[in-house]
Amino acid sequence: MDFNLSFTANADPNELYDLIIIGGGPAGLTAGLYAARYKLKTLMIEKLPVSGGQLTSTEWVENYPGFPEPVLGQKLAADMEKQAKQFGLQIINETVTEAELAGKIKQVHTPYEVWKAKTILISTGSSPRKLNIPGEAEFKGNGVSYCATCDGPFYPEKTIAVVGGGNTAFEESLFLAKYAAKIHLIHRSDEFRADKILQERVRANPKIELMPFFAVEKIDFTNPEGRKLMLKSTRNDEQSVLPVDGIFIFIGNDPNTKLFEGQLELENGYIVTERSHETSVDGVWAAGDVQSKSLRQVATAVGDGACAAFRINRYIENWSE
Amino acid sequence: MLDDQIKQEVTKILANMVKPVTLKLFTQGMECGYCKETHELMNDLLTTTDKLKLEVLDFEKNEAEAKKYGVEELPTIVVMDEQDRGIRFTGIPAGYEFSSLLNSLLMVSTGVVKLTPETKAFLDYVKQPIHLKVFVTPTCPYCPQAVILAHQMAFYSANVTAEMIELSEFPHLAVKYGVQGVPRTVINEKWFQEGAAPEDMLVEKIKEAL
Repeated sequence: MDFNLSFTANADPNELYDLIIIGGGPAGLTAGLYAARYKLKTLMIEKLPVSGGQLTSTEWVENYPGFPEPVLGQKLAADMEKQAKQFGLQIINETVTEAELAGKIKQVHTPYEVWKAKTILISTGSSPRKLNIPGEAEFKGNGVSYCATCDGPFYPEKTIAVVGGGNTAFEESLFLAKYAAKIHLIHRSDEFRADKILQERVRANPKIELMPFFAVEKIDFTNPEGRKLMLKSTRNDEQSVLPVDGIFIFIGNDPNTKLFEGQLELENGYIVTERSHETSVDGVWAAGDVQSKSLRQVATAVGDGACAAFRINRYIENWSE
Repeated sequence: MLDDQIKQEVTKILANMVKPVTLKLFTQGMECGYCKETHELMNDLLTTTDKLKLEVLDFEKNEAEAKKYGVEELPTIVVMDEQDRGIRFTGIPAGYEFSSLLNSLLMVSTGVVKLTPETKAFLDYVKQPIHLKVFVTPTCPYCPQAVILAHQMAFYSANVTAEMIELSEFPHLAVKYGVQGVPRTVINEKWFQEGAAPEDMLVEKIKEAL
């Protein structure tokens, strides 16, 4: 049995921080670790009491170097948080409602305080994308889920649909197979973006049935005894009904950049950065999934966070009001 | 239940306690699996601070007391000082919910609540009882946010009770309340807020429910 120890720090709202990090996933935590070691006055604002971002809703991490045995996402997240805190990173749990990025002194608003800093690092990550089909919002939390580690235990010996063709869909299907009796893995085509090794494991799992060339059109969980999905073939438009007890949706992510729209350059919603991870606004950096880039992994996020912190440290050395 | 390293860290965290806090643990004579583990966890916590007091109550032998605190499932922990603050944990507070438990101990002990002036004004104004049931699983990283928020409201207002319910121990409650996704905060048995909602969103939902 695990016992998590996450706590909000007592930060001083009158302080002018060198750096405020918005978002406590792997990118933010790594930047926080580096910044704390540079002795920058750093504050991390993370909306949840638990740091780690999407890492905390991942069961096993197998492609983060240094762990020849797979490491639990929740364990890796807790350890990253602990390591950064050991060097003095302050983490508070507040939701940012407004960020004023322009000007020499940046202001970050939460429902409780206005925090001030010389620089900002945006590491707000991304959130699971919705299918935007009828029934999805209505049955969220009662049959529709986006988090396998949260809701997997509700489906012992049940039949589940998983939607998606990437790493998350494949990894989480393997996780859910521990609870469920049967998993239909539904994808629009037969081209899967998931790593080959995951594809092999999924194909070898007798509980998981791949269903390529299908799209889910409607979720109808109105009758608890007869929950069903309306499917359409992407090849011939033929419609069919699939009885399931629940559906998990892993069709990619959307960046969490709503707060920053109109303030800095975005590309398809993602933040455009220089090689130094600086954004189009002076004194504002971005790291991790929220950046416009080609690969979104823990391994790339930590590198982004470290590089950004390095450049921020230099910027602070030359900072004057 | 807690290894030495975690005990050391808990000792450091609970060194910030000010006033004594009482844990009332409702369990049974022949303890259920989770009752026994929760009991051991409470005993472990007692070794980390001298500001905690544990009262173990046999549910069957203390019917009146159980009724007074609204205890319906076992184990249930009531976190209180000299008065009942409406804070409950039903099922073991392990995994991410261990943080929620420590948060509630510190809150009751120090009296510090982090709610916006708007929320406080709303809670001051409301005269009806508000009962919040926060359904969680121990591996849900989004859940402590919902639990800590509900417990803060309970601590601030005498009209609010807030109960964390570890749903995987009570499948019949998952069926009764139609919950297959956590966190979910059920308000006065009829309305609910899905997910780890920000404070103002939960307040709006409570307004709808009243």
